[in-house]
Amino acid sequence: MASISIPVPWRARAKSGLLGWLATVDHKKIGLMYMVMAFSFFIGSGILGLLIRVQLAAPNQTFLDPQTYNQVFTMHGTGMIFLFTIPMVVGGFGNYFLPLMIGARDVAFPRLNAFSFWITLGGGLVMAMAFVLGARSDASWIAYVPYSNKQYSPTLGMDIWLIGLILTGVGSTLGAVNFLVTVYTMRAPGMTTWRIPMFVWAMVTTAAMVLLATPVLTAALLMLVADRNFSTQFFTANNARLWQHMFWFYSHPAVYIMILPVMGIVSEILPVFSRKPLFGAKAVVISTILIGILGFTTWVHHMFVSGVDPVIERFFMFTTMVIAVPTGVKVFNWLATMWGGSIDLKTPMLMAIGFLAMFVIGGLSGVIQALVPVNQYVHNSYWVVAHFHYVLFGGAVFGIFAGLYYWVPKMLGRMFDERLGKLHFVLMFIGFNLTFFPMHILGLMGMPRRIATYMAGRGWETGNLIATIGAFIIALSLLVFFVNVIKLRHAPKAGNDPWEGNTLEWTIPSPPPEYNFRHIPVVESDRPAYDERMRALPH
Amino acid sequence: MSMLPPVTEDARLIKALYDLVFWLAVGVFVLVEGLLIYSVIRFRRRRADELPLQVHGNRTLELIWTIVPSVLIAIVFGLAVDTMTRMTARGTLANPVAHVHAIGDQQARRRVEAAQPVDMVIEVIGRQWVWQYRYPGGDVITTEELVVPANKNIRLDMTAADVIHAWWMPQLGPMIYVNPGEMSYVWFNVPPGEYVGQCNVYCGVAHANMIARVRALPQAEFDEWFAQQSAAASVAVEPGDPERGRNYFMNSACVACHYIEGTKAQGKVAPRDLTRFATYPTIAQVDGLENNAENLRRWLKDPQSLKPGTAMPNLNLKAQDVEDLVAYLLTLR
Repeated sequence: MASISIPVPWRARAKSGLLGWLATVDHKKIGLMYMVMAFSFFIGSGILGLLIRVQLAAPNQTFLDPQTYNQVFTMHGTGMIFLFTIPMVVGGFGNYFLPLMIGARDVAFPRLNAFSFWITLGGGLVMAMAFVLGARSDASWIAYVPYSNKQYSPTLGMDIWLIGLILTGVGSTLGAVNFLVTVYTMRAPGMTTWRIPMFVWAMVTTAAMVLLATPVLTAALLMLVADRNFSTQFFTANNARLWQHMFWFYSHPAVYIMILPVMGIVSEILPVFSRKPLFGAKAVVISTILIGILGFTTWVHHMFVSGVDPVIERFFMFTTMVIAVPTGVKVFNWLATMWGGSIDLKTPMLMAIGFLAMFVIGGLSGVIQALVPVNQYVHNSYWVVAHFHYVLFGGAVFGIFAGLYYWVPKMLGRMFDERLGKLHFVLMFIGFNLTFFPMHILGLMGMPRRIATYMAGRGWETGNLIATIGAFIIALSLLVFFVNVIKLRHAPKAGNDPWEGNTLEWTIPSPPPEYNFRHIPVVESDRPAYDERMRALPH
Repeated sequence: MSMLPPVTEDARLIKALYDLVFWLAVGVFVLVEGLLIYSVIRFRRRRADELPLQVHGNRTLELIWTIVPSVLIAIVFGLAVDTMTRMTARGTLANPVAHVHAIGDQQARRRVEAAQPVDMVIEVIGRQWVWQYRYPGGDVITTEELVVPANKNIRLDMTAADVIHAWWMPQLGPMIYVNPGEMSYVWFNVPPGEYVGQCNVYCGVAHANMIARVRALPQAEFDEWFAQQSAAASVAVEPGDPERGRNYFMNSACVACHYIEGTKAQGKVAPRDLTRFATYPTIAQVDGLENNAENLRRWLKDPQSLKPGTAMPNLNLKAQDVEDLVAYLLTLR
């Protein structure tokens, strides 16, 4: 590969030890710290999910009292969304791989990057410590007013929850600025628009969404803090819908903030393990951007039963359904990428296929529940719980594990054990479907979400019991993953390019040196690492 | 994967739309998962060094899978709008803007009155954590269940006393939020039977206990029931019965907050457990509020007036239930 020489800057000389981590401005170390943080919150929030499933395994249980149960599901949702998925995919994968994939030595503002991480961690720790010490919100992650007002939620836990979210929101917003500037200004020579890797396209779209959406949530949270503590009246009882609008103006795009980067990861993995280029790459990029734009036009579908003008309902039903088109384009392009390929079912590929298979179910149930009349039945029911777990677990979590199995060899320089990886996949796939598929049926049978218990005789017993068993199978699959992580210490070395990758990170050592690229590479196609491999072949 | 059997025309319309779109979705699901599974089997790597044809795309194929789904989406959108239009034409809930309005909005109120002729209007108040039903005339108020005459047009005029609640009776038609400061309406006409649903917006500690029951009786039986209730409302209550009080306690929202050892009541919101309630000198640790039957009656009827800011809401208990609860609570030693 052609390259140009730029001297490695002085600050690239790394400090070692604890200080090396605390004081680092290296995007790779920051990315790893994001991942460790996010994964810890994944475990914590996952344990809360298990508590929920134990409580609901049978009717009329008193394993958790209702108050505790409500706090537990509030923190489960908050933790999974704000402290696990978003920091994992944006802060973790984004930080580590976005600069590597565009051939840069770091992000545009490394110090700002470190600040983003520490403030996100701060927000997370504030919420988590308050939860452990007993100052807990029980207002659910959507925190609807007037329930979240001082009158009905007088506890300190509610204020701490709001402040924690404001801090993590600031972290995300600053991180988004950083990514946009980095991709705009720091791409390697030759990386023209259509040569930008899919994951980077996904991150750019995501960063733009974060930048436009997160400040609205932050504003709403601040307004609620003021209502609760300084006697303002932004969200009085007659203005409760304002909160719903502001909250969902962020929180619907948040779904795409969580899923687009994962789609980017999958768009990288499927071609590599099929030994083919991504089918219709331009269409995939355009779909990504369209999803990003349309993602801002659908938030009112969360409010179809709260009293909205029917003309507006039709508009938002339409925009919500339209998103299925670019999403469908992606799905078919992924399938066409695999079609006629040479498919190698290594663990990253299995996880990516799992993503594809499960995400489709979430997408289809999303279209069904977007229909206003159907929504007037399934809104807030367990059907919805099933739907978004198919998107965010079947989709995002499978995609995150695909990314981890794919990139941990690059980050840590060691290969995962394939047999344990496959066992992890199979257990998680079975456990996931046992847990969340019955929830569709429970919702249709009338089971509302966010209930601490239910009475016998409404036909909900079997579905709930199966879901609880499934949840423990998921937990078991994660134990298998941890064993695999522990075994990494003595695992075989990965080398530069264990998978025959396409993108620039596979042209440098694993783990990459502090400065990433000894020479800044010059890019000649959308698959620079593939080009390099082809050139090395004997003619 | 089916909705509960509908008993109203609105619920039937919803279910018909759902069923149709569900099977369409199943079709797409089978297609995608079929292609996926076929690819994984058919195109498995056989030799380590095989290099498949490097196809970058195909405009025709890509146009097909952009246009066909678009058409499909347009059709489904049309079906949904058609269902909405039919529900609106019936004057029912698919037109929420007319049917959710600020309490003082007289114009919207007139639209609601004109929407559909009704045989009976019942006022419903959602509050943490009961549904309260007030019948015409105002004498009859129930909380455990809503008893209505069968095969009559019923309208519920609903509002919330505190936070947002939602009225969801899956078999009876669309769900609607019940917001404080606003009116929400549902219309239904149901055959005789018992139907169950519950509050569907998280509303606090006993949200799970906010059950709604509708019992539809033939007109003659309903009249009899209504006469009984009217009479009961005007006669003096009978002395409290601890057993009835215990039943009421264990099957209502009380158990979400209160703790009584060895029972279903495992709530931890109330600061003191009630296991030996009768031995406590005061009620709710309020100075001077001696623990006796008279004060307990006052407390149960309106806790906020005796201890402003207490977590215990006014549950609008009926006089007889208060008597029974007092009798029960004073047996706890």
